[in-house]
Amino acid sequence: MPMKIDAKLGLDVFKLDKEPHIVIDTEVCNTVCTDDACLYVCPADLYERDDQGRMTVNWEGCLECGTCLICCDPRALSWKYPGGPYGVQYRMS
Amino acid sequence: MERVECIVVGGGLAGLSAAYGLAEAGVEVMVLERGDYSGAKNVTGGRLYLKPIRDIYPELWDEAPFERPVARELVTMMAEGAHTTVEIASDRFTAGAPQSYTVLRARLDQWLAEKVMEKGAMVVPNMKVDELLREDGRVIGIRAGEDEIGADVVVVAEGVLRLLSSAAGLATQPKARHHALGYKEVIELPPGVIEDRWHLNPGEGAAQLFMGECTKGMMGGAFLYTNRESISLGIVVGMEDMRRRRDGTESWQLLDEFKELPQIRPLVAGGTVAEYSAHAIPEGGISQVPRLAGDGYLVAGDAAGFCLNALVTVRGMDFAVAAGHLAAEAIKRAKAAGDFSAAGLASYEGSLRSSFVLRDLETARTIPSFMENPRLFTHYPRAVARLLESVYTVDERPQDGLVKKAWKSVRRDFLNVATVKDAWSARRI
Amino acid sequence: MDIVVCVKTNPDLEMVRVKDRVAQTEGVPYKIGDLEKNALEAAVALREAGAAAKVTALCLAEGNRKAAEDIKTALAMGADEAVVVDDPALADPDEAAVAAALAAAVKKIGACDLLLFGEGSSDNYTGQVGARVAELLGLPQIGYARKVEAADGAVRCERSMDDMIETVEAPLPAAVTVVSEINEPRIPGLMQIMKAKSKPLQVWSLADLGLEAPAPVREIVSNLAKEQDRKHIVFEGTAAEQADAFVDALTREGVLGR
Ligand SMILES: Cc1cc2nc3c(=O)[nH]c(=O)nc-3n(C[C@H](O)[C@H](O)[C@H](O)COP(=O)(O)OP(=O)(O)OC[C@H]3O[C@@H](n4cnc5c(N)ncnc54)[C@H](O)[C@@H]3O)c2cc1C
Ligand code: SF4
Ligand code: SF4
Repeated sequence: MPMKIDAKLGLDVFKLDKEPHIVIDTEVCNTVCTDDACLYVCPADLYERDDQGRMTVNWEGCLECGTCLICCDPRALSWKYPGGPYGVQYRMS
Repeated sequence: MERVECIVVGGGLAGLSAAYGLAEAGVEVMVLERGDYSGAKNVTGGRLYLKPIRDIYPELWDEAPFERPVARELVTMMAEGAHTTVEIASDRFTAGAPQSYTVLRARLDQWLAEKVMEKGAMVVPNMKVDELLREDGRVIGIRAGEDEIGADVVVVAEGVLRLLSSAAGLATQPKARHHALGYKEVIELPPGVIEDRWHLNPGEGAAQLFMGECTKGMMGGAFLYTNRESISLGIVVGMEDMRRRRDGTESWQLLDEFKELPQIRPLVAGGTVAEYSAHAIPEGGISQVPRLAGDGYLVAGDAAGFCLNALVTVRGMDFAVAAGHLAAEAIKRAKAAGDFSAAGLASYEGSLRSSFVLRDLETARTIPSFMENPRLFTHYPRAVARLLESVYTVDERPQDGLVKKAWKSVRRDFLNVATVKDAWSARRI
Repeated sequence: MDIVVCVKTNPDLEMVRVKDRVAQTEGVPYKIGDLEKNALEAAVALREAGAAAKVTALCLAEGNRKAAEDIKTALAMGADEAVVVDDPALADPDEAAVAAALAAAVKKIGACDLLLFGEGSSDNYTGQVGARVAELLGLPQIGYARKVEAADGAVRCERSMDDMIETVEAPLPAAVTVVSEINEPRIPGLMQIMKAKSKPLQVWSLADLGLEAPAPVREIVSNLAKEQDRKHIVFEGTAAEQADAFVDALTREGVLGR
């Protein structure tokens, strides 16, 4: 059985910021987007729709690869690196 | 405004290499790195081609914390249920000093940052730069949080996403069609097991690349590098292909499915996954290289698009080190002339053009469009695997002669209009 | 009034990986302990409020070969000067040796009206060092401080007790150990970090302090938790069946229903 993606992320160190570093303009998702790319491209499987059908991202587990940012054509994401001492910290890679 | 002579944005290999050369020459330089340490945010596949850069800072490399020198090169072509592994052996890979080493970035970058500090540069971790400050088109410094610091010249080595340089209008925003997603697991295995599994002498390493089924026909492949006490196993997949695919495949699943293949399972058996990481890779080639120098700034490394994915080998780290070095050289000249304008820094581009960095990218000019050909990642790996599968199949049926077997397969898989066209376009790369 | 803050650096615990039950500290960066940051913040706040003239950060390297670099964070946070005591004989000291070295260093620094500590270090948290140093220097000591004020030759602290807050006053010079509620330590900006570079920083050895290498009085035999076998029982079936089987198993093990 493959390791669950959550378990993989559990191996990494994440230093949590108080503010999210990714904010989705869900209006854009619901009106302009044709492919929901973020759902498929994120290597950490962090995007999902909530009960009301709004796109959400579990930014706390973000690997900061930028793939969602690059693949979101309608530019619904305001995406920045976490500041200061925050975000993922790799110990090997 | 507080000032230093040079600010380097990003303490990855490109930024650190620039800072090393500058500090060595007595230029006042400050590296700003957003991670807990250099390497804390960085991901690579794992192999540094040392040969092209050995003569840059020759005193450095003997003590570098490399993982293993690559002694075995393997390429595996995969079809569903069949695969062929080819070993590319050449005395030239191993004769004398090894041409490449496997590396882990947290260790390598941290070590290089220490060397840079020993030369007298300041390396500030946990310091994210928020903005490149511009005045009349000239880059005059940076802003980090509330603090603005001025500099004669800023080396932009922020890596692939170009967040700062695109916000400052120095580069375009990255596009999916010019980028791949790379992600990997570091899997711990005892050194003896690694050496047994890949038939290595103690201390030596292997690089194994996989094409075909592993990316379900999308541009990319899988890679495996042996480190000292672990392996790096990962997937590279083109973002555009990934995004266009509408069958519900999610990127992260590719590695899990790959690891479950009967031919891969024994390679990772008994291993313990220790880290999971991901990063974008610039694959647009030379057409996506932005302006390399302007008034008060230079761009180096992934931020400049200095990365080459030639089918199975990704090269970016040696480019990053070389470009950092050339940036330092150009800044030293600019300082001597007291001219940090675009004209004063123009020697940077010239020296990149005569170095392997832009030459190799130029030679590979057509690779990115060549690689958009999906047959490369489906048809050919499959065809090779099938060809050899048929040659080696012995069963109860009357056997075709070897030549006939091979010919059947070649005629089916290699001789048709599409493949001839591919061969024609491949002549240009 | 001059303040000395004793600051320990320890491996960044969040970054330590455990492999085969052993903590892997190779390559793990050190940082100033959390409560020490609170103590620094308290000291700098007192100086900024005009209650103190000078803040000195005092750090025992304890095997951190980059202590002199890492202590610059204290300077960036606002300390005026820093002293690092670094000696191979103190690579892995016990609390008695730590206290002896710190006490000697405080004496050598000279002017010290208020001596601040974190209540315990982020890694070992023995909570001994502040009290030991105070004893060696013959100072009154206030522990668990969640508020520190200094005026008219005295320090007044609020102490966090389990079910009450106690207010205590002591004449200066005095030693105070602080808890995390006391403040939110600042994260220094780039400008502060750059300025820290030119602040005075001295590195002393044990000989500089007139001390001999301490004889260890402590031996760590093991600090691992006792290993316990797991039962590895997997329950199958519907949720209700699984729950029943689970409760049965717990009862059999004597965990439930006694
Ligand atoms: C999966 C994968 C496999 C690869 N395989 C190979 C390989 O086998 N061989 C090879 O040679 N290359 C390989 N590459 C490419 C190689 O890793 C990169 O080309 C190389 O790391 C580029 O170095 P760089 O210094 O330009 O960028 P980076 O290593 O990305 O460094 C950029 C630095 O800037 C910092 N930074 C960014 N923004 C800010 C900011 N605003 N403020 C402060 N700091 C900032 C980052 O934290 C980072 O340290 C691979 C890449 C990936 C992702
Ligand atoms: S790809 Fe962008 S626009 Fe589309 S759903 Fe995702 S975040 Fe929204
Ligand atoms: S940056 Fe990468 S890991 Fe983070 S949410 Fe986007 S795709 Fe996922």
